[in-house]
Amino acid sequence: MAFLELEGISKYFGKTTAVDHITLSVEEGEFLTLLGPSGCGKTTILRMIAGFETPSSGNILLDGDDITLRPASKRPMGMVFQSYALFPHLTAAQNIAFGMSIKRQPKDVIHQRCAELLELVGLSDKGHSYPHQLSGGQQQRIALARALAVQPKVLLLDEPLSALDAKVRVSLRNEIRHIQQQLKMTAIYVTHDQEEALAISDRIAVMAKGQIEQLDHPEEIYSNPRTVFAATFVGSSNQFKGVLTSATEGLCRVDDQVFHVSPLPHMHDGERVLILVRPEEMSLQDTNEAVNAVAETDSNHISGVIELRTFLGPFTRFHVRVNETTLLTADLPNQQARDFYVAQPVVLSFTPDACQVLPLDAADLELERLAAAERV
Amino acid sequence: MSTIHPANTIPSLQGGERQTRRFSFGLDKISLLLVTLYLIIPLAATLAFGLSNGKALDFSTYPHILADPDFTQTLVLSLELSLAATVLTILLVTPTAYWVQLRLPQVRPLMDFLALVPFAVPAIIMALGLAEVYGTPNTLISVLSFGLVPLLSNPPFNILNTAPLLVCAYVIISLPFVYRSIDNSLRAINTKVLTEAAYSLGSGWWRTFLTIILPNILPGVISAALLTFSTAMGEFTLASLFSIYTFPIYLNVTGQNDAHKAASLAILSFILTLICVLGIIFLVRLRPNRAQNEDKLDIVAAK
Repeated sequence: MAFLELEGISKYFGKTTAVDHITLSVEEGEFLTLLGPSGCGKTTILRMIAGFETPSSGNILLDGDDITLRPASKRPMGMVFQSYALFPHLTAAQNIAFGMSIKRQPKDVIHQRCAELLELVGLSDKGHSYPHQLSGGQQQRIALARALAVQPKVLLLDEPLSALDAKVRVSLRNEIRHIQQQLKMTAIYVTHDQEEALAISDRIAVMAKGQIEQLDHPEEIYSNPRTVFAATFVGSSNQFKGVLTSATEGLCRVDDQVFHVSPLPHMHDGERVLILVRPEEMSLQDTNEAVNAVAETDSNHISGVIELRTFLGPFTRFHVRVNETTLLTADLPNQQARDFYVAQPVVLSFTPDACQVLPLDAADLELERLAAAERV
Repeated sequence: MSTIHPANTIPSLQGGERQTRRFSFGLDKISLLLVTLYLIIPLAATLAFGLSNGKALDFSTYPHILADPDFTQTLVLSLELSLAATVLTILLVTPTAYWVQLRLPQVRPLMDFLALVPFAVPAIIMALGLAEVYGTPNTLISVLSFGLVPLLSNPPFNILNTAPLLVCAYVIISLPFVYRSIDNSLRAINTKVLTEAAYSLGSGWWRTFLTIILPNILPGVISAALLTFSTAMGEFTLASLFSIYTFPIYLNVTGQNDAHKAASLAILSFILTLICVLGIIFLVRLRPNRAQNEDKLDIVAAK
């Protein structure tokens, strides 16, 4: 049995279904992220685990104990909030000590533990500061220390970095991960930021409309998405809608072109599919120099004109206009990108292995729209 | 290459700033002076009227007043009633407002309405209503109050025309200030999230309320308490209708016989209320989190 188990949890607010019959297991010491757009039910799940909401149906088990109806104050959980939620009238050290004093721990123990935790979050000199005297990042560190002070069995983090600026966000997320690994703490992290989720988690549950679309390791979620929503929400990708003409040979018809993909033994000929290619899997060649490459049969080639060239630091992104409705994206290492310029006719190439093929039905189309809307 | 010379730009900026500051400072001073005059002139006039016997200054009024047994008696009674009303109001309204904010946000419009009712209902109507409810047996009211009204209408717990009913009436008339002030303070802090944070650290409802929420809404609670106290100290209609001899009644009776003495009494009552108010403020300032309050003030001043 897993450390924390959600068994068929649902939550309805009036007629709205926030969480729809979710079953989820979290192992001890694991860092699990609930990732999804706003309104997908991820925060509701976290609040049910914390005890701030009661599930409409289903059970929550922690270490074998049913805690579904246990009040929040009696659950061994530590929570970090998006808005920090530090007590404004207490100093940083008093905030950290609050939970320990409720548990009636001896004063010298509290004092020592406060000092340890302040050191752990790198704010040893800020113990006497009030929250309003600290920056956002510092406040969230204190909030983390406060949650850890009660030695919770599970650490719950509700979009803890959303209110911080980009640089602090990256450094603090690394720190959270480092502390979690150091303490071997079980953590559940809620975010809508896919980059954050990929960077920090042992496993990610991609959520949409109150359900888990895919629960997997970050690498799998990124490179082998199982649903259209997971594929479109996590990372950016070029998408082609087509029909599978030969599942065994791996051939798809997209508009009037045939795409070579990996053989798909579990799919049927004639099935509607969505083909996804990550921008970094695309390569670019000048049209004049690409004659030889096009001759190769196993790669896919699409001609277009570079419309936009964006330097993004580690790489350069090219938007290539194929026709009136199709704009494809290719990410190139800066060294290769030097040869290409705006308005240059090019050929985009990608291998069959780079294509992720997913069956497409009406429900998927809607989820895909949802994901696309979120990404804008 | 062009260089910006700070020396050329900054003095002019500073000069402009200084000018604005001087201008606004002057305006501040004028408005402050006007408000002070507006408040001081009636008090000064009352004081002067109280100290004159028509021809010359007469300081003998004050020893006379202080020697009057009715003065001490009514003053102590009024202080007791006001204190009781203040404590009762704060004890009733603060947890209720917190509970409504936290668990029953949908009831807030109703609470806002209920809190405004005492403004709309004249004191005389309320007094008659209370006399009617507690004075005349009524089956419907008995049932609706779960037998509480009949219990309080008859000996030994009769409260009709007694000080406890007056205290309850004071609680009602002070509801608008108290509920508004406390509700605003609760809205100003992130009540729900702070409560959840405290819960997640193992704190129960009461402990969260007393150790987390109350210290953060204390300024609102204090202003509510001060308003209740001063309202109850000066309340005349209800006390008169319940035939309870409070300080404002004594003031009125005295005023009918000797206008100069009444004016001196008014000044005395003003000073006493001021002492009470300053006392409460001083007590609050003695609290351990004073340092933070001062910081807050500093920030406000800096802004």
